[in-house]
Amino acid sequence: MFKLLKNIAGRKNKLKPGQSKNTLAKQNCQKKQSVSAHIDENIDLMKEIYQIPHNRDVKIRELKIGGLSKKAAIFFISSITDVQSVEESAIKPLLANTRGDAGIDEIIATQNVTAFLDIKDLVENINQGNAVIFLDGSTKAFVFECANFQGRSVEKAESEVLIKGSKEALTEKVIVNLSLIRKRIKNEDLIAESMTISKRSHNVVYILYIRNLADEKLVANVKKRLASLNVDAIQNLSLLEQYIEDRRLSLFPSLLYTERPDRATSFLEDGHIVLLMDNSPDSIVLPATFWSFFHTAEEHYLRFIFGNFVRVIRMVAMFITIFISAIYISVTTFHTEMIPADLLLAIAGTREKVPFPIFFEILIMEVAFELIREAGLRVPNPMGPTIGIVGALILGQAAVEANIISPIVIIVVALSGLTSFTISDISLNFALRVIRFLFILSAGVFGIYGMSALFIMGLFYLVSLKSFGVPYLAPMSPHYVSSGDTIFRRVITHENFRPGYLKPADIKKKGDGAAK
Amino acid sequence: MKQSEGKIGIRELIAIILLSVGTKLTDDTPSILFSTANNSSWMSMLLIGIMSIIPVFFLLKVFSVHRGKNLHEVNIHLFGKVVGNIISFGVLLYGFAALVLDSATYADIISTMYFTKTPFLPIYLLLLIVCGYGAKRGIEQIGATAWLTLFYLKITLFLAFLISFLQGEFKMIYPLWGPGVGEIVKTAGRNLSIFADFYYLGLIAPLVSTYKSFKKGTLLAYLIVAIELVIPLIIFVMVFDFTSIEIMKYPYHEMILYISIGFLTNVETIFLPFWLIATFIRFAFYLYLVVLLFGGIFKIKEFEYLIPVMVVLVLFAGLAPQYGVFTISHLRELLLTSLSPIFFGLPCLMLFIAKVKGDFKNESSKESY
Repeated sequence: MFKLLKNIAGRKNKLKPGQSKNTLAKQNCQKKQSVSAHIDENIDLMKEIYQIPHNRDVKIRELKIGGLSKKAAIFFISSITDVQSVEESAIKPLLANTRGDAGIDEIIATQNVTAFLDIKDLVENINQGNAVIFLDGSTKAFVFECANFQGRSVEKAESEVLIKGSKEALTEKVIVNLSLIRKRIKNEDLIAESMTISKRSHNVVYILYIRNLADEKLVANVKKRLASLNVDAIQNLSLLEQYIEDRRLSLFPSLLYTERPDRATSFLEDGHIVLLMDNSPDSIVLPATFWSFFHTAEEHYLRFIFGNFVRVIRMVAMFITIFISAIYISVTTFHTEMIPADLLLAIAGTREKVPFPIFFEILIMEVAFELIREAGLRVPNPMGPTIGIVGALILGQAAVEANIISPIVIIVVALSGLTSFTISDISLNFALRVIRFLFILSAGVFGIYGMSALFIMGLFYLVSLKSFGVPYLAPMSPHYVSSGDTIFRRVITHENFRPGYLKPADIKKKGDGAAK
Repeated sequence: MKQSEGKIGIRELIAIILLSVGTKLTDDTPSILFSTANNSSWMSMLLIGIMSIIPVFFLLKVFSVHRGKNLHEVNIHLFGKVVGNIISFGVLLYGFAALVLDSATYADIISTMYFTKTPFLPIYLLLLIVCGYGAKRGIEQIGATAWLTLFYLKITLFLAFLISFLQGEFKMIYPLWGPGVGEIVKTAGRNLSIFADFYYLGLIAPLVSTYKSFKKGTLLAYLIVAIELVIPLIIFVMVFDFTSIEIMKYPYHEMILYISIGFLTNVETIFLPFWLIATFIRFAFYLYLVVLLFGGIFKIKEFEYLIPVMVVLVLFAGLAPQYGVFTISHLRELLLTSLSPIFFGLPCLMLFIAKVKGDFKNESSKESY
């Protein structure tokens, strides 16, 4: 009884859900001071902010500068700082100093030393891996860059694999990614603006564009959208993508996600904008059209005919992925007269002992395939292939022998599953997998009529989509001046224009007859 | 490149016209012609094509001085508020009737030729829902969809007719003059309104990026459509001969049932989806036009919200004559016949009044500045 009363009483003191203590404001308030002339006050404040010594990796080194005979203190976070460089180029020279009139920037041997007045700026710098030097009697504190975040090195691209072309992929370190892109565009007009987009974690996003190419309105629009975010933390681009896309419930992706620096670069050179972030081994390209999801980098690296051959294959594969199961259902249930008599007899023969209607049979197999696929992705590495073989071969074989599934359904579903892998973009891949089920349903209800209805509704929907103001199926419809890189690509010397839907400042990217 | 919001370009315009007028050869329009002009229907069609250029040309002329206005606004301007509204209302009624009868005919084609076991209602309902969805998206989207699919639709149509041509007998088009010149001309006169869609195109005139592309697109599409409607009529006769074609309801569908490609003896299901897509786009466009005009007459700015209501209206109106196919086809013939003089006369009248009012003078003096 008392417990209950206590509970009720206690609840009153507690905050209601949704009404939170604004600890962020308190945190900001603490930092809203300027550097004091007394070094001890500064040290105490910093110790309070960083909770030293509870915070184990925040280091403070107090020392006395020989020549100046003043007290100094160096703050840094050892886990994200190049400690050796701090020792070599700051602590050592400071201790060894003998000149009485030297300024800090004359003593320290780092690439740059910047003075700040506010604690807020200093904290920000320390959080970014830099070191701060307080000097007794000075209302300025000095910051020098020595950040060293841990991460992996540049590795091979794993989800966008090419045979011909560069093999490097972006990594989780944004500086490395920038370097990979700058390596490809040696132009001072490649701008890499940075912007802090989250309130607590201070995640920084880099907005890359080529200054005299990209549409200024578009750049302003992107910046506006990024600035309008009011979030505590956005860890990486995959999350950022969901914050800034136009339609969050849409089946189709509207921002292109690529892990290849060469691909990002070629989009930049066409006037697109690229976003980079720490912790994301990839980049976001915007605006994106349907075609950019459909393409891979390789079609342009391959010679004209081979590149287009790949495109044809992919188009066919996309068609098969979406439609083949649905076509099988509608043809066998609604339009049997279409199948040549021999084949019809063969199908009927294999289905003799199968107790389910075709619609249900296909549905079982498609769901099974999705299950195997998801399981194969999640199992620990060494077991992966085994699961695949067990799933695909044995399950299929057994299902046929048990008369649950007819063999032709295995062929149909295996085809539709396998061909879906030709679409390398993960978002479009998912979209197709979901659409496939919609088509299966519509075929089950209305045969070819239902499929056509769904198709045309999908098309109406697709053409009304926009990604940052760019129609999804541009430049095919509505028509724009462009290099016509949609289903097929042109000969490389004829791809003279940047896509007009981006409204680039300079539409022409090659002279006529670029190579004589 | 300079495409602005909510407008369509010349490509989209041509695609819409080709799909909305071009599909007429796949419904019972040919059979209406065949019933009186027999095997010489193609000549009637040719005559219709030649004659209809006059109202279309006049209409373009009127719109050349009223850029930025749609058909309803031009009507108001020319005939005054009362008469203009009455004329627009009449045009709306005809448009609505055409939408109901045509959509019911198409649903009838689907149910009698392909889905014989499915009741009429769900087929019709699905057709209208899809078209309503398309119309709701707006003219830009209808145009874009039409342009995206145009190539594939026309290729398959061409293929169907090519195969039929190869499997047909050329001699069957004789006797060349069929029931005689008089009957051919009479049929042409009665069914002039096959091209009445061009009159309704005036409604989207201000939605085309420039007047120049509206004019160019309309004329180009007119030329293509006229050819597209004449040649199949010859091929139908070549495949079926004139006695059987007169009793056929939907010759195009009978034709794709009849032909075969190699080892595939029944190919109609291959052509069906393409025809269906053209159908959906066509009625989405019609629905959009009717609602646009309705919104114009009754001054409803956000007319897109009328579409669900209009879909329900069309559904009930279309279900009413469902007691026999012949009712619909009879009504359709009546519609075509009664619309013909209006389609021919109205643009002439419009041009005449515009001349009297001196609209053209203003324009020429403006241009000289």
